[in-house]
Amino acid sequence: MIPRRAWPVIKLALLGAFILFTSLPLVQMTVLSFTATLAQDGLSLGETTLRNYRAIWADPSLRAAFGNSVAYVLINIAITIPVALPAAFAFARLSFLGDKHLFFSFIAFRITPPVVLTLPIFQLFSVLGIVNSVTGIALAHCLFNLPVSIWILQGFIAAVPREMDETAFLDGYSRPRYIWKILLPQIAPGIAVTAFFCFMFSWVEVVFARILTTTNGKPISMALGAMFGFQTDIGMVMAFTLTSMLPGALLLFAMRNHLSRGFKVGRV
Amino acid sequence: MKQHDPRGWLFVAPACLLLGVVGLIPLVTVINYSFFEIFTLQSRFWIGTEWFRDLITAPRFWASFGRSALFSTFVLCIQIPLGIALALCIPRGRIWAGAALAVLSLPLLVPWNMIPALWLSLMNDDTGILGQWLVGYGWPAAWKDSAVLTWVVILAMDTWHWTSLVVILAYSALTTIPDPLYQAAAIDGARPWQVFRHIQLPRLQHVLLMAVLLRFMDSFMIYTEAFPINAGGPAEASLFLAVDLGEEIKAFNYGPSAARSVLYFLIVLSVAWVFTKVQAKLDDPNPGVP
Repeated sequence: MIPRRAWPVIKLALLGAFILFTSLPLVQMTVLSFTATLAQDGLSLGETTLRNYRAIWADPSLRAAFGNSVAYVLINIAITIPVALPAAFAFARLSFLGDKHLFFSFIAFRITPPVVLTLPIFQLFSVLGIVNSVTGIALAHCLFNLPVSIWILQGFIAAVPREMDETAFLDGYSRPRYIWKILLPQIAPGIAVTAFFCFMFSWVEVVFARILTTTNGKPISMALGAMFGFQTDIGMVMAFTLTSMLPGALLLFAMRNHLSRGFKVGRV
Repeated sequence: MKQHDPRGWLFVAPACLLLGVVGLIPLVTVINYSFFEIFTLQSRFWIGTEWFRDLITAPRFWASFGRSALFSTFVLCIQIPLGIALALCIPRGRIWAGAALAVLSLPLLVPWNMIPALWLSLMNDDTGILGQWLVGYGWPAAWKDSAVLTWVVILAMDTWHWTSLVVILAYSALTTIPDPLYQAAAIDGARPWQVFRHIQLPRLQHVLLMAVLLRFMDSFMIYTEAFPINAGGPAEASLFLAVDLGEEIKAFNYGPSAARSVLYFLIVLSVAWVFTKVQAKLDDPNPGVP
């Protein structure tokens, strides 16, 4: 038997060990990003330098990639949340014919591997004329972000006491007006969490981003991929990877107390 | 009880429309293509189920199917218990809990095509932090020649990347347990194991089911991350299901890639179906009674 007082120590040790494991590749990345990995500009190999970061700043195509990523993520969030919100309300509050099946078919789209749908999505978007643009990626990413958003939001809505609905309806609120005026302020943190998860899954995605941007509108992940070649400056690659993680890391720490609140109810 | 109201469909209509465009139409297109031999999109011939027959009679397909199934099994056996354990380890205080979750989630922010690059740098026997250290303990510098070691690295990478998602999900379920339950358990003198089995685990069920579903499908169809580690080698030992599909799509082989996509989607559907069955069982208040 393990004595009761030993438990906190064991827990802390396990958590500490895993955090160490988590940080190892990130430390490696940080170290490499400050190292000269190609002998140029009068620097010898392995020297500590800020050159990698200066090179990123000086490269207009990398700056454009950053802008593209920000753009498609924002467009994606702007599409996903307004569409997901009423659906989440319906799943959380109403029962209608086929609601469970519908929810599962949404989830089925989330777990469909993107690579299965890349070819027809590419063709469809070519016809629609949104290939090589940030709109195309933003729309394609709804495939997995919309189901996840509906799932998170319905958890938040289900946590709002039902009495609130009833009071509002007695006061003569219509459903859309109730959602807009009363429910929305109640679940504001939920919307932030949802937007964050949309950002997170969209920012790092590669498969759609690759097939939908062959000439133009390349996001960060594609710019990173293009940096690999005959002579790869791995230090610069790592520096750009680190830079690409900074906005996410800032958001992550801003959201840290709300992160785990969205998944409370795992059912419809 | 939820209010019965068919107008619920009005609220889900925009979502159905959007997923119809980016999900259903492409899916139907793929199903259509899978029955054709396609030279260009203008000249194509109906060939029925030939692509499917070719596919499911190919030993290569079943070999990669088996590898993916084994990989997913490992992933679930490692990440689900580890995720639960870590969620239980997260300190109660608000400040520390938030900080721990945020730090654990950092790997989710790395672009997926950089994840193998990060791990290859880390495992480099010359310059990698972990590689140098492991070589000192007898880890071979040529670990890529070994199928087992390649799998170990890919599994470690996937655990590093995705365990935090399980932690977030499990932790969110744990925070819904009201304190009086713990106090009652303490008064009854419950051991930590009993607290876990009778108080914490029942609360975790639903969210864990979701975590298992997400982790299973994402690892079963692992594509971007696993291939660059060892190019599917040694001797195809790390060639997973999605790799062949990716190659066919790159070569614009419409017919075969469509047939493969349909087959993979059928796998997705059957997994989702099993999921709904398990979910229904969890929701059933008195199991065994029809």
